[in-house]
Amino acid sequence: MSAYAALSAAGYRAYTRDKTTLFFTFAFPLLFLVVFGLIFSGQTVEESGRPYIAYIAPGVLSWGVANAAVFGVGFVLMQWRRDDLLRVIRMTPTPLTSVLGSRYVLAVGIGLVQAVLFVAVALLPAFGLELAAGWWLAVPLLVLGVTAFLALGAIVGTYARTPEAVAAIANCLMVPMAFLSGSFFPLDAMPSWMQTLSWIFPLKYLNNGVSTALTGSGSGADIALGAAGLAAFALVFGAVALKTFRWSDRT
Amino acid sequence: MPTADPAVELSDIHKNYGTQRAVDGISFTIARGEFFGLLGPNGAGKTTLIEIMEGLRRADRGTVTVLGHRPWPRDTALLPRIGLQTQSSAFFVRLTAREHLATVAALYRAEPAAVDRTLARVGLTDRAGVRVEDLSGGQRQRLAIASALVHDPELIFLDEPTAALDPQARRELWQVLRELKGAGRTIVYTTHHLDEAEALCDRVAIVVDGKVTALDTPNRLIAAGSAATRLVVPADRLTLEAARALPGVTTATLDGDAVILETADAGPLLAAVERAAGGLHGVQTRTATLEDVYLQLTNQP
Repeated sequence: MSAYAALSAAGYRAYTRDKTTLFFTFAFPLLFLVVFGLIFSGQTVEESGRPYIAYIAPGVLSWGVANAAVFGVGFVLMQWRRDDLLRVIRMTPTPLTSVLGSRYVLAVGIGLVQAVLFVAVALLPAFGLELAAGWWLAVPLLVLGVTAFLALGAIVGTYARTPEAVAAIANCLMVPMAFLSGSFFPLDAMPSWMQTLSWIFPLKYLNNGVSTALTGSGSGADIALGAAGLAAFALVFGAVALKTFRWSDRT
Repeated sequence: MPTADPAVELSDIHKNYGTQRAVDGISFTIARGEFFGLLGPNGAGKTTLIEIMEGLRRADRGTVTVLGHRPWPRDTALLPRIGLQTQSSAFFVRLTAREHLATVAALYRAEPAAVDRTLARVGLTDRAGVRVEDLSGGQRQRLAIASALVHDPELIFLDEPTAALDPQARRELWQVLRELKGAGRTIVYTTHHLDEAEALCDRVAIVVDGKVTALDTPNRLIAAGSAATRLVVPADRLTLEAARALPGVTTATLDGDAVILETADAGPLLAAVERAAGGLHGVQTRTATLEDVYLQLTNQP
């Protein structure tokens, strides 16, 4: 078995044996969908005339996938460094790319399973999401989104030294970003300065792109913009993550 | 013990943490196949020195050669030839002992069959299916040692490998270590069990305040450190006054129910004690141990 396959298997086992994280990753975003979906059931957004679910479903899905990517790698990296597991890996001939590659494959897999589960629930008559013809374009966008947010999570995991710090830093980044990027409520109903400001957040590009792909709210240009924005964030975060990576907390 | 092809060669190694001199000019050579002990109080610089040999830390000054390579920066050609006992916390979470060791083996690209063989070697076969979080302290330690052996390295670093083990497990590990030495492996290890160092090590280095204060075979260190032999005689058979009058006695003290005699030459004194105490029944002879030498050299009471 290659080092990469072994690390992926170890990560997969650790993940599926952790009931708390499984709940947080898969059930928690669904809970948001159920709550918002039932509150705004059958209502439309005044400014655009489109149903709420067309905003909320792609928004909460994007947030859920991004959140899982940030938290997942943030916790693992902090824990591996704190427990000296990174030093163990460092003392083997395994390259860093195998370590990061295994986490990447795991994160993409989790993101896609989240998306399938989430969309399947949103399509139920109680929520009433209707998929546009180009829905499958959401897949490459989600993969790019996982890439960008995984890199962000790696930076969080590098600077945080305790689980509490990971949770605090990641929440400080993700909760305001989710609101300001329109994950939980339609930005169309917000002041225009806030709509402009939202473009500084990577989650906005994921929201906007996934929303266009799933519900047909925009054009192909919106999807291209989403993909380009996420790729740019992935490059910047990835470069910072590699630059700041540490094998150990000790010098 | 200079050899043409040493396992480890340290030359004038220095390492500071801020103003603290953790390693302050250490040089020695470890031969291939040697069992080498690093002894010293906590904070003496042993762990830093081992980490420099492993390539986990960079020395501020001096040169390190390990199996003919420089361990710093990370050299992936050298790493599979080195094994190191990990921290007893350094396990992949929520895996069983076997799954963890199989992951480590794959990281070293070792053959999969080595996993069960190594678990058997450290006595963990019947705990192979237990999650790492549920292992006892001694079992975790044995799993950490297994990580050092699973890829069959030439040079093995062990950091207090017997610290959390019960006497039975400790003796079993001694046997494992002797077999590794018998197979030609080089072992560098630290311990606070001086009886163990005396029993296992070819040579020991005693490190105090970042410097090597003594380096030799345990026997030669003991011989050089203290020539005194102690005789312990039951107090009801020999009075303190009579003891002081015996030939060759340097000091005589009463300790509970025994008179303790110190001498530089045990032979004639034993004969005299036999006459004065009416036989040698119940008389014990105690020669110096590595522990005596160690305490002397580290200035501990």
